[in-house]
Formats: sequence, C-alpha cells, structure tokens
Amino acid sequence: MTNDEIRGMTLEKNKARQPKILVFACKWCGLIGADGAGRKKLELPVDFRVIPVECAGFVEPDAIIRALASGIDGVVVMGCHIGGCRFNNANHQAIKRLELLKELLDATGIGKERLMISFGTAHEDHQFADIIKDYFRKISGSIRLEPWVESYVPKR
Amino acid sequence: MRRIAVYLCRCFGEIDQIIDLNDIRVRLAGNSRVRSSAVVDSLCCADTIKQTALQIGKTDADQVLIAACSLISRGNRVIRTLEEEGIRSSSIHLVDIREGCAWIHGDDAAGATEKAYRLVDMGLALLEHKRPSDNVVVTVRREALIIGAGPAGMAAAVSLAERDIHVHLIERGSEPGGMPMLFSRVYPGNEDPSIKLKPYREAIETNRNIAFYPRSKLVSVVGYVGDFKVCFVSNKNEYHIRPGVIIAATGARVFLPDGLYRYGELKNVITQMELETRFKKGTAETDNTVFIQCVGARCAERPYCSTICCPSAIKNALRISERNEDAHVVVLHRDVMTPGSTLENYYRTAMERGIRFIRFTEDTPPVIIGEDRVEAVDVYDVVTGLTRRINADLAVLSTPLIPGMDSHHLADMLGIQVDRYGFFREMYPMHPVETRMDGVFICGSARWPVSSDQAVMQGEAAAIKALAVLRSGKISASSFSPVPGGKFGHPNVNADSCTGCGNCMAVCPFDAIRLQRIDGKYFCISRVNKMRCKACGNCVSVCPNGTMQMPEHNYLSVCGMIERAFGQ
Repeated sequence: MTNDEIRGMTLEKNKARQPKILVFACKWCGLIGADGAGRKKLELPVDFRVIPVECAGFVEPDAIIRALASGIDGVVVMGCHIGGCRFNNANHQAIKRLELLKELLDATGIGKERLMISFGTAHEDHQFADIIKDYFRKISGSIRLEPWVESYVPKR
Repeated sequence: MRRIAVYLCRCFGEIDQIIDLNDIRVRLAGNSRVRSSAVVDSLCCADTIKQTALQIGKTDADQVLIAACSLISRGNRVIRTLEEEGIRSSSIHLVDIREGCAWIHGDDAAGATEKAYRLVDMGLALLEHKRPSDNVVVTVRREALIIGAGPAGMAAAVSLAERDIHVHLIERGSEPGGMPMLFSRVYPGNEDPSIKLKPYREAIETNRNIAFYPRSKLVSVVGYVGDFKVCFVSNKNEYHIRPGVIIAATGARVFLPDGLYRYGELKNVITQMELETRFKKGTAETDNTVFIQCVGARCAERPYCSTICCPSAIKNALRISERNEDAHVVVLHRDVMTPGSTLENYYRTAMERGIRFIRFTEDTPPVIIGEDRVEAVDVYDVVTGLTRRINADLAVLSTPLIPGMDSHHLADMLGIQVDRYGFFREMYPMHPVETRMDGVFICGSARWPVSSDQAVMQGEAAAIKALAVLRSGKISASSFSPVPGGKFGHPNVNADSCTGCGNCMAVCPFDAIRLQRIDGKYFCISRVNKMRCKACGNCVSVCPNGTMQMPEHNYLSVCGMIERAFGQ
C-alpha cells in the first residue's frame, strides 16, 4: 500500500465517527471553567466527558492509557497553574509525571497529541470552551482509536 | 449488589427542554442495580428535597444518584440538605447534567440526551465501587506555640493568653520586642517603640498563661493540627511541647547593601537601620542629609517593594529637619510609596517642611562623590532632565527587608510554602494569615514586610484564627477535607500488598505519609496520617501496584467511568 492509500483509509475511517475526548478536570480550576462555560451556554461539541478530580495529581498515568486503550481518542488533563495549587506542589508533581507520559506515548507510536495537559489555562469559561474546541479540531486529524484491551472492571 | 435510587432533576424545564429525561429513565430500567428512578421538578426547593429524602428512606436503596446542576451552583446545597435529612453523604453522588450537558449542547438534543445517559451511567459506575473512607477525630490541645516575639508574635501571644490559652512564646533573642526595639521611633505616630510595646512586654512578664523562652531555637515539628509535637532548645535546655496550633511570626531582616553606593567604603554612607541606632544612642548628626531609596529593592534580583522604607525615610527626614532647620534634607526616590491617609500626611508634611524629593530611575542611579567621605551626590532628575549635584554630609541608604536566613528551613519544618523570595506564603490572598498546612498560621514580616502596627494587627488576626481551632474542642479529619459532593476521603493502604517503595512518601505535598515498620514483615509499609492528608491523590497516582486507593474514588471506579463514558 502506498502512503496515499493509507491516508485515504484513515480519512475514510475518521469519517465514520466524531473523536471521543475524556477530560480530567481539577475541581479548583478546570471544573470551575467547565461550570462557567455551562452558565454562559457556550455551544460545545457533544463527544467529550468530564471526570471531576480533586487535583490533577490524582490522575493516574495508568488511567490515561486505559482510556486510550478503551477507544477514547484523546485525554485532556486540566489543573491549576504552577504555584497556584491548593495542595502545595501537587500539580507540579503531576505535570512532571504527565510530560513523561507524553514522551512515552510518542515513543510507543500512540502519539503525544493524544494527551493534552493544560495547567492554569482552563479556569475561565471561554478558556475552557476554547481548549475543548481546539482539541477537537486537533484530534480530528488523527486516526480514530479502537478498543484494544479487555474490560478491567469485574462484571457482577 | 448495590441498590441505587436515581433522581433526575427537570430544573423547571431548563434540563427537560433539551434532554429527554424519560428516555433516560427507560434506558435505566434495564440496569439491575437501579431500584427506582424518578423525575423531579426541582431538587433545590426545600419541600422537594424533604420529600425526596422521605422517598429514599422508604425504598430499600442504599445509594442515591442525583442528576441535576453542577456542584458549584446548587449541587453542594442539595447534598448538604440530604445529609441533614439523615442520608449519608458518602452514599450520594451528583452528576452534572445542566451546566455540563444541557446548557452547552442546546442545538443537539439527541446528542445531549445520549451524553446525559452516559454521564448518569458513569455516575452509577462510580457508585458501584464507592466506599466511605474512615474518619479520625482528635481532641485539640489548648496550647499554642508562637515562634518569634516581635510585635506580631507578642500581640498574638497576649490575645491568646487573655482568652485562657496556654502560650509558649519562643524567641531567638534574649528579650521580647523584636526589630522595633532597635529603633528610636516607629511610624505612624512617631512613638518610642519601647513605650508603644510596653503593655505587651508587661503582659508577657505577668500573664501566667504565657511561658517565654529566650535564646531558643526550634529543633523539630511533627504531628498535625490539634496535636503538634515540637522540640526546641532554650538556654541550652531541651523542651518537648505538644501545642494544638503554631503561629509563625519570625519576622525579617534588613538587607545589607554591600558594594552598593560605596557602602562599607565610605564612613558616612550608612543604612536606614544605622541611622535609627544613631538616633537611639543620640549620636545622629543633623546636617545636610541625602536619603537614597530602593537600594537593592525593585531591581532584577528583588523586584518587590518592601513598603516600609519610604515611610521610615520620610519619618527620619522630618526628624532631622526638626532638629536642625538649616539642614538640607533631600530624598532621592524612584516612587514615593506612602499608602493610607496617615502616611500620605507624612509625605505632605515633609514637602511643606521643605524636604526635597527628587526622582531618579533604575537606569541612572545617583552617584556618590567624595574621596574619603561623602561630599556630594550626583543625581539625574528625570522630571527636569538635569543632573543635579547635592551637597551632603551624610548619605542614608534605604534597604528593603528580606526574609530571615532560615526561613526556607523553618517553612520545611512547618510544612508551609515560601514565595520565590523566601517569605512565607498564605493560603490565598483572601486568607491572609492561614497557610495550606492546617493549624499553622503566619503573621508579621515573615509573610511580607509590614510596619509594626500592621504586624500587631496581623498577630491578632492570626490569634483569632488560631482560637477558632483551639476552641473547637474536637476536630475530625473530614472537616478539613470534606467528603460530600464527590470529594474524596483519605487514601487507604492495603497492608498486604504494600511493598514499602516510598513513592507516595516522596510525592506527598503535606508530609502525611511515613514508612512504618510492622511486625511480621521485613520491610516497612506506608502509613497515612489522616489529619495531615488533604486528599489530593498524588500518592494514589504514583503507587506502582494500586496499594494506595481512595475509597471514594478508587481505580475500579475510574476504570468503570472510563469504560462507560462512551458506551461499549
């Protein structure tokens, strides 16, 4: 197959569905931005879900990989700006961890654009909306992911 | 299996007109865990919420999922009210389908309905593995430790002692008073500091609730709010105390301008502090004097304004011109910073008295002229654009306050943060004397350069905040990191799987985790101090084998939420 054919197949596959985005929003910044965007009734694409977390430091790299593995196309982690964390330096620790994870994602071929880290840029309504819209635009060019792992949660 | 009751709020049509709630109900009926689901008009009305609580009591549900507005708008109140009605807040989960779904997807009703269903499903996934985290209650010891007996520390000590709290006041020097005791006069009011601070010094001597330890040094601080364990050395004796709160009022020190404006080289180039001591000794010459402001402040290295140098320079300039009316007193400044009506009056009085204020810029600093002593000062006046030569017998350099030598070390010991210069950092600007470490308060120049009257004010503020903790009697760990409304509890360590790697201990921002040796194991396992923990979850995300888990929001819940976020 030539590169053009592969690109054609990718585009064909991408047309099938919209990208899915998962947002981990820190309660003290990202979630306030999300709430503000709701109050202002800013129109946003439907296919994103917000998981509120206490601090960006709570977001396990493992959970991000699991999200990508279960067919979610992109993950956004939103935290407070460096030095403004409620939990001393927790977000500073988080950013280091997540930047490393980004490198690992790139090295494994999943692509570093799958993970977006946004610290201190999403605590206002329009900023949150812009980040979501921009990320949708950015991730639409990438190939859609298919689930490639079994469910982790035991069925009862 | 969990039995979950689901309540979907219409919000009087705000949610209903976009999201088809009945469709969600029909889809939820297929879920075996959902025992009942109902659509209500508006959950935030007092009547509705009471009825809902009654209904929940009648069903056999042990968990409640509410799909309504966000936590920030009304959700928190709904959860609080349900808690008052007797439903445990740890069994409630709130899903935001108004701000997070209906209002942002107004043009796509079908998509919004699908998303709302998925959000509710994610909430169900979270509830499935949610456990309440255990709570710890400690009795607050009615003792306080105050570090530093400057104006702030003394004010805090006296106001706590007057309210029947036993106060340990430790001081590096040999007597209480702090930096103002080196001055001859303090602004505002031009009072003698030994007279101004006399009531406090007398109270420290006479009040039985205050134990004053001179020449002391802090050795270690461990523990948590309500019960700190502090070790310090005073007069070569070691003391171990257990205060309930700690107030840090360690003050600041004066920057020495070595090498600036030929300080140290010429005899009559002195700092503001030296002028004060000369006044105190009565040896100050009252001749032609030039004050140079912002020496070592508002520069690249120290870009902050120290706030106290302009008023004290004006105070001393006035004093010189009062003593010797023929003396030419000139203040070379970059901007005169005299906020507030009292200090502005100082500035105006000084101008009326004939004290000249000449402005220079950072790029063209004044030049000291003279061979072995100051003869004149050359300054480029930015207002007129002329270089002026001012004859002077004395050049006084106003230097800023800088944090104490050991402020970083002390902050580490107390578990609080410092800003980039080394001053203690408050929790937020709106919580000026509290820190992110519960039970540790800051006041005075240790947190920012302040005048002595403001230091007293801050000391009293810190005392009142400390009193609120000391008077509360018992503190529960959850009152500091509350669980309701989807907040997490405290991490639990699985003693069987912990390998003692220490990752969690290294990342904990509050030093809440320690490795502990236990019987029957050849390595240590980590233990969480629930009083110090603020539930940020950093330890959870670095744990290599999932030993550390938040019961309220564990890995299974997160995976469940991720897997159900967009359906299978």
